Amino acid sequence: MTFLLRCVLICVSLVLTVYVLGRIRHSKMRIEDSIFWVMFSMLLVVFSIFPKVADFISSLVGTYSTANFIFTLMIFILLTKVFFQSIKISQLERRVTELIQMLALDKEEAIEKEEHKL
Amino acid sequence: MTDRVLVVIPAYNEALNIERVVGEVIENYPMYDYVIINDGSTDNTAKICRKHGWKIIDLPMNLGLAGAFQTGLKYAHRKGYGYAIQFDGDGQHRPEFILPMKEKMDQGYDIVIGSRFVTEKKPRSLRMLGSRMLSGAIWFTTGVKVNDPTSGMRMFSRKMIKEFADGLNYGPEPDTISYLIRHGARVAEIPVIMDERILGESYLNPLNAAKYMGKMLFSILLVQSFRIRDRR
Repeated sequence: MTFLLRCVLICVSLVLTVYVLGRIRHSKMRIEDSIFWVMFSMLLVVFSIFPKVADFISSLVGTYSTANFIFTLMIFILLTKVFFQSIKISQLERRVTELIQMLALDKEEAIEKEEHKL
Repeated sequence: MTDRVLVVIPAYNEALNIERVVGEVIENYPMYDYVIINDGSTDNTAKICRKHGWKIIDLPMNLGLAGAFQTGLKYAHRKGYGYAIQFDGDGQHRPEFILPMKEKMDQGYDIVIGSRFVTEKKPRSLRMLGSRMLSGAIWFTTGVKVNDPTSGMRMFSRKMIKEFADGLNYGPEPDTISYLIRHGARVAEIPVIMDERILGESYLNPLNAAKYMGKMLFSILLVQSFRIRDRR
């Protein structure tokens, strides 16, 4: 890894972390949801400042090179995240559907009651 | 209410057909209750129904056929109907077949499908190839022969109404039928005649049909086999 590349990596991961923290501070996101991104950006910072950590884990796991290890790890983390988000979206869609149906049914019931009274 | 039939008519932008379709049911078949589910139409479907004073449930947003039909069954469940039938708002289904379907159901079935091909043979078209494949898939996974799995004219018993009203993944589609058969629902078919849709455009272009087929086959053959039936 060249010196310049390292600098870029450190800068990018630091900027990302600061940006994520700023967004969370302005409460655009629930804390439960923000934990993932804080951890993720911190992991990037650690790997860019101390590449030896990544080298060490890589040799421990037995991947061919550190780059391979980082790619695999990131892809795995992101895939899991996407999967759980997909579940979440499904649940949200279901809730919206239920709400729309309930709204319509209740409205109809109210109209019916009104007619009974008259 | 337990022996009443509720005709559920999902309607999405059916302003051209709704008057004729619903009018016929109401005038000639007053023994059936009906409810129109307006699935967030952007044309004046709702206005026409209001003008006539018809029973209509207005969904504030478009949910698609599955969501609209489920609303109808929720309504049936709330009111305690014993039978509910899915009846298209585009004039393909004929109300004279509701009675024979109800009679068939009284012989102890949970789902009665109005089938185009019980006695008649399927014509050899691309569309019917799809129908054959779905029949095959249902037969392969359940051992039950359903001649017309894509027929939209289906009647459901009280037990099924409850299940459809509460459940997730209970679209009015062949994969739900296969799932229910696998879990002990008894399904019968009676021969019906269906008309071509009267006016307006069907969404069934070749691409959509292919997508639908793929989704259904995948669902029937694979996904439904590891679904757990939640009893609530």
